[in-house]
Amino acid sequence: MIKNGRASGVVLANGDEIYADVVSSSVDPRLTYTRMIEPGNLPDDFLEGVNRYKFRGSSGKVNMALDGLPNFKCMPGVGAHLRGAMSISPSVEYMEKAYDEAKYGHWSSHPYIDMVIPTLTDTSLAPPGKHILSCFVQYAPYKLAPGLDWDTEKEKFGDNVVNTIAEYAPNIKDIILHRQVVTPLDLEREWGLSEGNIFQGELSLEQLFFLRPVAGWAQFRSPIKNLYMCGSATHPGGGIMGAPGRLAALEILKDGGA
Amino acid sequence: MSETRDVIIVGGGHNGLVAAFYLAKAGFKPLVLERRAHVGGAAITEEFHPGFRCSTLAHNAGPLRADIVRDMQLEKHGLKFTTPDVNTVSLTPDGRALILYSDTKKAAQEIAQWSQKDAASYSDFGAALGKIGKVIGEALLLTPPNIDSPDRGDLWGMLKTGRSIRRLGKKDMYRVLRWGPMAAADLVAEFFDTEPLRATIAARGIFGTFLGPWSAGSALVLMLRAAGDPSPAGSVQFPAGGAGAITQAMAAAAKQVGAEIRTGAEIAEIRVKDGVATGVVLASGEEIAARAVVSNADPKRTLMRLVDPAHLTPDFVQKIKNYRCTGTVAKINLALSALPEFTALNAKGNGNLLRGRIQISPEIDYLERAFDESKYGNFSRSPYIEITIPSLSDPSLAPAGEHVMSVYMQYAPYKLKDGNWDSQREMLGEAVVKTISQYAPNFPQTILSGQIITPKDLEETYGLTGGHIFHGELALDQFFTMRPLLDWARYQTPVERLYLCGNGTHPGTGLTGGSGANAAREIAKTLRK
Ligand SMILES: Cc1cc2nc3c(=O)[nH]c(=O)nc-3n(C[C@H](O)[C@H](O)[C@H](O)COP(=O)(O)OP(=O)(O)OC[C@H]3O[C@@H](n4cnc5c(N)ncnc54)[C@H](O)[C@@H]3O)c2cc1C
Ligand SMILES: Cc1cc2nc3c(=O)[nH]c(=O)nc-3n(C[C@H](O)[C@H](O)[C@H](O)COP(=O)(O)OP(=O)(O)OC[C@H]3O[C@@H](n4cnc5c(N)ncnc54)[C@H](O)[C@@H]3O)c2cc1C
Repeated sequence: MIKNGRASGVVLANGDEIYADVVSSSVDPRLTYTRMIEPGNLPDDFLEGVNRYKFRGSSGKVNMALDGLPNFKCMPGVGAHLRGAMSISPSVEYMEKAYDEAKYGHWSSHPYIDMVIPTLTDTSLAPPGKHILSCFVQYAPYKLAPGLDWDTEKEKFGDNVVNTIAEYAPNIKDIILHRQVVTPLDLEREWGLSEGNIFQGELSLEQLFFLRPVAGWAQFRSPIKNLYMCGSATHPGGGIMGAPGRLAALEILKDGGA
Repeated sequence: MSETRDVIIVGGGHNGLVAAFYLAKAGFKPLVLERRAHVGGAAITEEFHPGFRCSTLAHNAGPLRADIVRDMQLEKHGLKFTTPDVNTVSLTPDGRALILYSDTKKAAQEIAQWSQKDAASYSDFGAALGKIGKVIGEALLLTPPNIDSPDRGDLWGMLKTGRSIRRLGKKDMYRVLRWGPMAAADLVAEFFDTEPLRATIAARGIFGTFLGPWSAGSALVLMLRAAGDPSPAGSVQFPAGGAGAITQAMAAAAKQVGAEIRTGAEIAEIRVKDGVATGVVLASGEEIAARAVVSNADPKRTLMRLVDPAHLTPDFVQKIKNYRCTGTVAKINLALSALPEFTALNAKGNGNLLRGRIQISPEIDYLERAFDESKYGNFSRSPYIEITIPSLSDPSLAPAGEHVMSVYMQYAPYKLKDGNWDSQREMLGEAVVKTISQYAPNFPQTILSGQIITPKDLEETYGLTGGHIFHGELALDQFFTMRPLLDWARYQTPVERLYLCGNGTHPGTGLTGGSGANAAREIAKTLRK
């Protein structure tokens, strides 16, 4: 809700209105400025900057419930190596080729996979003897080539991740109890991450520091008084570190809290 | 051993000649020593088939910095440029051609046939490039500041540039900051929808570099090249007599003010004693002592081959080793019995449209795929190609009725994964001919003879280490205060009285004369102290 160029509160989807002195958005600028605010409240050149802000999600996630532990060919058996991060990134060329496919709108046939088995450090996450394998997968471009869509590609993408891991840990297929595939489209629909970008917008040089999210608007304020930004789309950007939230809070306090 | 000379310049490329001119004007007595039979470096015209002459390497100027053309009175020394009406014809596989006229209004009219919106954006883009390019152009004139302890001149220069950036106004100021690290593909997409237009302009950002249009920093290359030349696709200027006419005029200008030039004089070693350059030894064994040595050869050649690395610290040697200097461009020069007939242009009357640049850069993805192949050590089977037919503007370059065609192709990586350039040379030529034939079916029948210059040839015959046409990659980390290396961007080297003046120094943006002129100013200042 905006009155006389000032944010005065929010309206929930159920129609409830909540008034507030300060509104601070932890979601990305596209959602904040083009979905939650009536058109006409923002200057054109600012909106131009918002519309230009790049998301281009490029990763997916595959979570698996396992009936045992994967047995890697290169390091057979159970050991400390399973407790940390395991990465399928055998060469720079491998990763670059994975990227090449994504540039033209295809998920990588030989993806970069970053895996962890959190149940080895926190047994409470699964029933006794069972495990979880959490796989971060790149590349999975949000925008697929013409004729492809994520809802039909989703399980094929998941199969390919399993097949890739199987090349390194052949027993993986026998121990999967359940599999959850999260595509960039799912990240957008379910988790509110536009275009499935995990950092609420690309962390490229032209979108960092005093240019994040929009040149001239990197100090957590917005053209609307009392409306602030505090999520990963603000400086210093994405990642689980809390820095944007803290810096935003400091700026809000500096402004007197309203 | 002969008398001690004043200043020796190693190499008579255009930057060596520009430096010689300004040093002579400043009262020094430069002696230019060029290893090849004629001066010019990468800016030369040679006969490659009886009766056919061509700009062997560069076929278009950067363009030259206007103040240098003026100071050296190059026109008086015989240099004459023609600017064709048609700047660029960009061909597409569906048999169309996007025609960009040199005149912006006329260009916009043509673009309107593809998109009204793009026609309007075209002049906006040109205007933005012009404004921003002017400010960048100011920085290109500067000697990069000394970062550890900037002197008053440095501070003044930075202040002036800072002020100019602020004076751009908010919108363009943010553009300067935002555009540099961007991908050229993103930059052009902010202005245009028409794919061949996007790709044709973005190609400026990949020209001569190991970058694709989607690589971060390709927009910087585009902006640097726009600094002296805001025409969106890059201007086209043909010197009568080819690129060699530029350096011939420069040599005449330098001689007139007292510089001496010797060709066929290859330097085998730059002599260093107690950390100070004392002269050179020629391949013939002749030794020439000098008060100072200025090298127009690239930084790697100068500091790793001509100077004995024993005179450098291991740390410095490591850094210069890491200087990125592997090229991606090959050049093919062809003698033609007749003009090729481009399908897209037939209906429009071929001849006049072919006077500018003819580009095969139909879409961003096409360029990116060409780049992809080179990353893994293969030359592009469907390359980015830039063609000129200089005999249309200067008929003296070929026998009557016949023509020369000058073709750049990208990407031809210096380091091949399989085989070597001697075994792949012919295949490269075939790939280029085949690609052009797709747009001009009669093309193969018009070819009388050809010269294929691979990156290896650029290195061995023309002295460009790694075959890099710019004496080192133009990239954010090798630019301005970091060209060629951080701490050594002020034309000096760790060897006292040894200086650099070639394209591997700031600004290093090609055939502009900028590096040579900046270097001469700095060298004159330090030698006078
Ligand atoms: C698959 C994946 C893997 C990652 N891996 C790592 C990692 O290994 N290391 C790391 O540091 N970072 C990682 N990240 C990034 C990191 O998790 C995020 O950058 C960070 O969590 C974002 O925090 P945030 O508070 O800025 O925004 P978010 O966590 O996106 O929070 C925004 C919240 O706003 C809610 N919201 C959206 N719209 C509305 C609305 N209209 N009304 C009410 N609420 C709304 C959303 O539901 C969400 O809860 C990963 C992210 C993903 C997706
Ligand atoms: C195929 C090609 C196309 C190009 N196209 C363009 C273009 O369209 N636009 C543009 O702006 N630029 C273009 N360039 C780049 C531009 O031509 C060069 O960057 C520029 O000419 C370099 O000038 P320079 O004087 O610094 O060095 P060079 O021209 O390389 O001159 C160095 C000189 O030093 C000599 N030398 C080297 N070692 C020794 C030694 N040991 N002893 C004596 N002499 C030595 C060499 O023989 C040479 O003459 C192109 C280059 C190439 C190769």
